[in-house]
Amino acid sequence: MPNLSWCWTHRPIVNLLSKLKQRTYQIAIISVILAIILGFWKPHVLVEGIQRACLYAVIALPMALILGIVGIINLAHGEYMMLGAYFAYFLNVYTGMDPLLAIFPALLAFFLIGIVSYKAIIKYVLDAPELNQLLLTFGLAMVIEQLANLFWTSRPIKLPLKYVSASATIGSFTFGTYEFAYIAAAIIVLAGLLLFLKRTSTGQAALAVGQNPRGAKLVGIHVDRTYLFIFSLSIALVGAIGAIFMTRHSIFPLVGAPFTMKSFCLIAMAGIGNLMEILWCSLILGLAENFVLSFRGYAGWADILFFALIVLVIMVRSHQRQVK
Amino acid sequence: MRISKYLLYVAILIILLTLPFYTGVYLLNVMDIILIYIAMALSWDMLLRSGQISFGVAGLFGVGGYAAVLLNLNTGMNPLICIVMGGLAAGILAWLVGIAVLQLRGMYFAIVTLALAEIFRVIIRNLPDLTGGPEGTILPSAIFAGNSARTYWLAIAVAVVSVIASELFRRTRIHFALTSIRNDEIVAKSSGIDVFKYLVFIFVITSAIQGMTGGAYAHIYGFVSPEGSFSVDFTLLPIAMALLGGMHSTWGPVVGAVVLGVISEFLKLQIPYGHLLVYGLIIVITILFFPQGILGTIGQRLKNRRLRGSP
Amino acid sequence: MIVLKTENVTRYFGGLMALNRVNMEFRQGEILGIIGPNGAGKTTFINVVAGIYLPTEGKIFFNDQDISGLPAHKRCRLGIGRTFQLVRPLPGLSLLENIMVGSLFGKGLGQREARKKAEELCEFLGLPDITRDISRMTALEIKKMEIAHAMATQPKLLFLDEVMAGLNNDETTQMINLVRKICSRGITIGIVEHVMRVIRELTNRVVVLDWGEIIAEGPYGEVSNDPRVVAAYLGEEN
Repeated sequence: MPNLSWCWTHRPIVNLLSKLKQRTYQIAIISVILAIILGFWKPHVLVEGIQRACLYAVIALPMALILGIVGIINLAHGEYMMLGAYFAYFLNVYTGMDPLLAIFPALLAFFLIGIVSYKAIIKYVLDAPELNQLLLTFGLAMVIEQLANLFWTSRPIKLPLKYVSASATIGSFTFGTYEFAYIAAAIIVLAGLLLFLKRTSTGQAALAVGQNPRGAKLVGIHVDRTYLFIFSLSIALVGAIGAIFMTRHSIFPLVGAPFTMKSFCLIAMAGIGNLMEILWCSLILGLAENFVLSFRGYAGWADILFFALIVLVIMVRSHQRQVK
Repeated sequence: MRISKYLLYVAILIILLTLPFYTGVYLLNVMDIILIYIAMALSWDMLLRSGQISFGVAGLFGVGGYAAVLLNLNTGMNPLICIVMGGLAAGILAWLVGIAVLQLRGMYFAIVTLALAEIFRVIIRNLPDLTGGPEGTILPSAIFAGNSARTYWLAIAVAVVSVIASELFRRTRIHFALTSIRNDEIVAKSSGIDVFKYLVFIFVITSAIQGMTGGAYAHIYGFVSPEGSFSVDFTLLPIAMALLGGMHSTWGPVVGAVVLGVISEFLKLQIPYGHLLVYGLIIVITILFFPQGILGTIGQRLKNRRLRGSP
Repeated sequence: MIVLKTENVTRYFGGLMALNRVNMEFRQGEILGIIGPNGAGKTTFINVVAGIYLPTEGKIFFNDQDISGLPAHKRCRLGIGRTFQLVRPLPGLSLLENIMVGSLFGKGLGQREARKKAEELCEFLGLPDITRDISRMTALEIKKMEIAHAMATQPKLLFLDEVMAGLNNDETTQMINLVRKICSRGITIGIVEHVMRVIRELTNRVVVLDWGEIIAEGPYGEVSNDPRVVAAYLGEEN
């Protein structure tokens, strides 16, 4: 009997590859279309939406790194960002350092904090059921929040910085230009992570660990050290982002919590392990939120948009899974 | 052995029921809170037994409170019925969320529930005509006109309902289903268990209990507000209590609620601001060192001693 | 009478084709062996028939009813049972209660009847000590418990997935007799095995899978001499 199996293996592979490509393109196309529509209808929303989107993206990327490689979800993610913001604030108060410059000491400081967190706490639940990881990081988030509340009270604080209110005018349209820092940050972090993961040996080792920890160990990759490094890198990034965040927003102990949820929403939309898609999904979220915000009476509803999005994503995903 | 156990339960129940006759208002108020938290910790644990975590206890609690208060204000219905209706409202909401989200479980479900409290808070804040907006709504009078004995008995009723529910979950086939689902969903499915239906069912029942508890709380204290009714306390404490006392059991959460309830009274007097910190620490420490909680660790030690004793 | 029939069942995982146009028939009362090198798709086949995965293409008929789209728990209730290679007994439940899960939900019995059914199965399979602590059971006892659990759902078709793995010669003989006993109750059996002695002694027919396809079918004697089958297993050793 002639062996025809090879042609069945080839065609579906080709089909599936194009389907995968389509999905990334689908999300990108949706966001670009939304952007164009908004560009003509409400240009403010477009510009601010993109800026906001990049803020979300740059916060979500480190969480995606931990989730994809170490395999745990860090519910205390937003709280580390909050700590980074306070770090930059106090650095400014005691040394006069500009918060944007504080990114660099923040990177170092929070890398160390990440190491400590991992060794003291996170390491112990890596092998435990997912439940324990969720509960532990939830407890950790609460502890960090309450410690912040205890030391610094819930009073919002803000730094008056002059360059933050810079703006530009195109035609009759004025917009803030400082927020483009978020866009720069998003591009730098995304590009940096992608380059790191795909071009450096440490990064490739990390990818291998993320896909198959046991296999990676067999090949001689030091799994625990990889987890330690990636976790600390993620915390370092979030801390540094906190410093940037500090410049533009007033901060208080609970400021980070919503970002944990929104980051997870973005990661769920993009799919675990897809860093590029996070940018596009952030665009959709950022534009949508700002769009709702632009309507006077409905501003309060913008906050729950991400919730609607994540429920939608889950419903679609589970339907797909059922069919498969 | 069984008869004496039941006699013990009956004795404790009698002591609890007659408490108002020989103790003062302060103790009764503390007991109210403890009983409310017993119900919350138990209902959280009941869902945990299926392998799912809900971080949205405060959300369902607040929804029940609002439903019970608004219903009473707008229709003048008997407050007790309103409290039950609060449970119903929470149950219906849980059903809607559950059928949408429980197909994907674990962290997806957990994070969706994390957002629940915030979502409901935002919705309520943005419908001021209906709900009284950010300042909340006050009832003209607390239930039973503030009579502390009757309020206390209401709290007992709520706690008893949750204990009965928890025991039902442990003694009927639900126990087998929950344990099987928690252990391995694929094996559960292959045993004929409709996993999705069971998870939705459990989520709805436990949320209804949380809503009913919220309704009782709202009527006992006489007001609801977006900040107060959805406070993170109502998520954090039940989790800490169930973990501390020992999860996957009826008496574990009860013990945890009593212990932490008493401790929290002292804490509130000593450290007015930091007491939530303690609960977060308790969660972290129990997960790291005593995942089985007080009862679980004691049970394990007794078992080990028995095993060591036998040749 | 055909109990189960699969028509061109194909299953992909991403780009990997795990099953390729598998056509199998299970006749009432027979013991059908399913063999093949590691990764051939034997357990995947069981998973697709049992409903853990839906087939990407193809259909499955159980007693002439198209069950291709039914979820796993419904297929269990219809009468398809299976064991698992890696047994993880339910903690906190006794041996008997572990088996009861099957009788409670597979056929919707009440607790008392479920318990009786579980006790009856324990006796049938030679697990007399039902108060055994699960953590101290021997390998043979654990396998018997797993089979009891699957049988508690009262299957008409039972898949045994490598139940002989790790047993010594005597235990294997015991198990072979047990399987014959199960078959004598009228249950059709599909047995996946690596231990060829079992296949040789127990089965009427054998199906050989390799890379998700059926490469040979027939009585054990024929199939074991088929050069393609030999090549498939030898290829695995390379």
